[in-house]
Amino acid sequence: MKTVTKLLSVVAVLVLLAGVAPAAAQSTLVWGDNLPANLDPHALYDVPSSFIQLNVYDNLYRYEGNPPKMKPWLAESHTASKDGKTWEFKVRKGATFHDGTEITAEDVVYSFKRQVGMNKAAAGPFKAANVASVTASDKYTVKFQLEKPYAPFLSIVPILFVVNKKQIDPNVKGDDWGFGWLASNSAGSGAYVVDPSNYIPQKQLTLKRYAKHFSGWGHNQKPVDVVKAVEIAETATRVNALIKGEVDIGDSYLPTDQVERLQKTKDVVVQRNESMRIFVIRMNNAKPPFDNVSFRRCLSHAFNYQGFIGDILKNYAERNPAPIPKNLWGYPEGVKGYDFDLKKAQAECDKAKAAGAPVGREIQLHYQAQLDQTKQAGELFQSDLKKIGLNVKLITDTWPNLTTATGKPETSPDMWIHWVSAYFIDPENWVGTMYDSALHGTWKASSYYKNPKVDELLRSARSVTSQAERTKFYQDAAKQVVDDAADIWVYNTVELRGVRARVKGFKFSPVGSGNELRWLSVN
Amino acid sequence: MLRFLALRVLLVIPVLFGLLVLTFVLVRVVPNDPSAALAGQNATPQQVAEIRAKYGFDRPLVVQFGIYVRQVLQGDFGTSIQSGRRVSVDILQRLPATLELTFAALLLGAGLGIPLGVLAAVRHNGWLDHALRVFTVGGIAIASFWFAIMLQLLFAMQLDVLPLRGRLSPIVDAPPHLTGLYLIDSLVTGTWTTFGNAVRHLVLPAVTLSFGALATITRFTRSGVLETLQKEYVTYATAVGYPRRVLIAVYVLRNSLVATVTQIGLLFGALLAGAVVVESIYDWPGIGSYAVQAIFTSDYKAILAVTLLVGAVYSVVNIVVDVVHGLIDPRVAEQL
Repeated sequence: MKTVTKLLSVVAVLVLLAGVAPAAAQSTLVWGDNLPANLDPHALYDVPSSFIQLNVYDNLYRYEGNPPKMKPWLAESHTASKDGKTWEFKVRKGATFHDGTEITAEDVVYSFKRQVGMNKAAAGPFKAANVASVTASDKYTVKFQLEKPYAPFLSIVPILFVVNKKQIDPNVKGDDWGFGWLASNSAGSGAYVVDPSNYIPQKQLTLKRYAKHFSGWGHNQKPVDVVKAVEIAETATRVNALIKGEVDIGDSYLPTDQVERLQKTKDVVVQRNESMRIFVIRMNNAKPPFDNVSFRRCLSHAFNYQGFIGDILKNYAERNPAPIPKNLWGYPEGVKGYDFDLKKAQAECDKAKAAGAPVGREIQLHYQAQLDQTKQAGELFQSDLKKIGLNVKLITDTWPNLTTATGKPETSPDMWIHWVSAYFIDPENWVGTMYDSALHGTWKASSYYKNPKVDELLRSARSVTSQAERTKFYQDAAKQVVDDAADIWVYNTVELRGVRARVKGFKFSPVGSGNELRWLSVN
Repeated sequence: MLRFLALRVLLVIPVLFGLLVLTFVLVRVVPNDPSAALAGQNATPQQVAEIRAKYGFDRPLVVQFGIYVRQVLQGDFGTSIQSGRRVSVDILQRLPATLELTFAALLLGAGLGIPLGVLAAVRHNGWLDHALRVFTVGGIAIASFWFAIMLQLLFAMQLDVLPLRGRLSPIVDAPPHLTGLYLIDSLVTGTWTTFGNAVRHLVLPAVTLSFGALATITRFTRSGVLETLQKEYVTYATAVGYPRRVLIAVYVLRNSLVATVTQIGLLFGALLAGAVVVESIYDWPGIGSYAVQAIFTSDYKAILAVTLLVGAVYSVVNIVVDVVHGLIDPRVAEQL
């Protein structure tokens, strides 16, 4: 019995001692945002994957700041032919991968072939650009030859992240391009390198600073040496962890009540940045009664924009009534969009009914199970539509289900709610990919909207190189889409991210949502 | 006994096969296309169609099931759509966390539940018995997710005496890998700071998970002991002056535990299932949170493998329970 008592005493002392945080020799930051599904920069194309892409890998050009500006990164410069079909990039000399190998034009060519060859989501933008060939003209020059001019080409170049062929080659199995290995390892040149030893997918990941990064560390005198990233599934736990100091930086998808909790916390600063992430309620224009423009206008007048933005989101968002973010060129200035007015809504619905649209049928509105805000918007909409006699059924759903269902007009939901984030900075990322009928079948074009005039405007916007001309095309297209009430555009996001006061140097850009670590330091 | 064991092991095979059929059908009949998840966000319909053909998702469901069963029989559970790794690698990496949590909860449940059950029976209808009744009804009725959040708010946020989430503080390195059970690995390798840190992180999840089990074990032990106390040999032993403590600890308890042991076996399965909720709230990197993630992302091979694993563990535990029955009660062993 005495032995047991002694043993328990020892355990108790150890447990108490463990309450004291062990001294860390290196500066460590605990990152508490969502982690990507895997670590391969060419397999994913979503917001969490930018954490790996921007920190572990480098691209030829990079978006920085807000509004985002393109900055030469691994490339020193580029030239484009007058016809817009040939693009040459000069790769910076002396930049190295984490294993010390110098980065050359051949690595860029390999990375492009890998990205397109794997045929995952990130290949999409380059396929749309119709790249005929990519070659290394010399050790430091990469040439992209397009089949036809594609004006947004330069804006999608930052989507291509350069990987180290030498590290990947020995790990290729069959036709997997080394995905089986790179999904839990790294072969990059970025400011941080993955420590694969304790990696648990979508749970924990350790990054270590790459001291020899080509950009040097002159911009940050006290960079973070080690970043421990943890994914916290529950919103409440995530916020509590930030308040308690168990994590240093949280995520930017917080409900307003949680933001208010953070604002009341002494050692937490809430970073507030206007982003380029549009909140949209989609309507399946191919399904009756949504194929009737009056019915769509009826719904557009029935959403309480100010109530949602002001009362539910406490004004942490800005009304954005068109399918291009307000803070981006190409936005149709002067477009008022639709206001919340149930009388106007009723009048439009009556018009649709008179035209024979089946206005009385039950409408199904799908929201995303893990994203509270989509549910809040759905409930608000449901209650207002009831006032004008429309019966809405709310359906909880998941992202994979929705993207599958939106593949065909007959399976695509009547309505569903999502955001369109800033994957590349060009109106093409929003109005271009959402309303060109050639892209029907993708979740982004899930309204199945079809207007030959808009198709023509969008295709013209891709084929001319002058930004002034392109601006006009996108503005006209956006105005037409708004007039046709293809969807309900609600707001442009103000990203709110909780950051512990000991963290300095946080910099936000809509591309990557402030995921770049190289600016950060900790006290 | 050996014949009985062999028969029970053989019976596990059709059980697991049935489980596999059921799960495969349930996962695949929902309007959900794994090729869309595999292609990733922003993929074009053409990309999704190419991936569907490449991975055989366009073939009849029966054919797909046949291929999957053949792979499973060869020990291949396939590759996770999400992590890009072998599902077996993902599960083996996470299983020790779940086992550590489940065993801790079970130890807590049985270690406290049995003595409390005995006490309740011995002090039958006394204030302790009534208090324990309230406690155990609460343990069975209270939802674990609510209880978990309350414990977090009290002990991690208000009193600030225990960590909120995770298996270790992010700044503490995991112990050298031996079993994957942090408590054992850190004890064996003498990494004491890690051991203490791991114990602190285990407390709240284990208490949450064990609450229901503790209540059930207390109730079953109480009724078992009460019933045994009515037996004539207990009356006789008491009449001849046999020491009461020894009588209860040695004879009464042993004869009362048959139902409790069965319950502990069943509870092990319930605890594994309960870990899904508890792991999600406490951010415990086990197979429960893995299963939740897999469901939300349509990672169907991961879902199937986790289901199969839990089914297999449940079956094995049931066999163990039968054997333990035999050890506790020789009459049962004779019937086997």
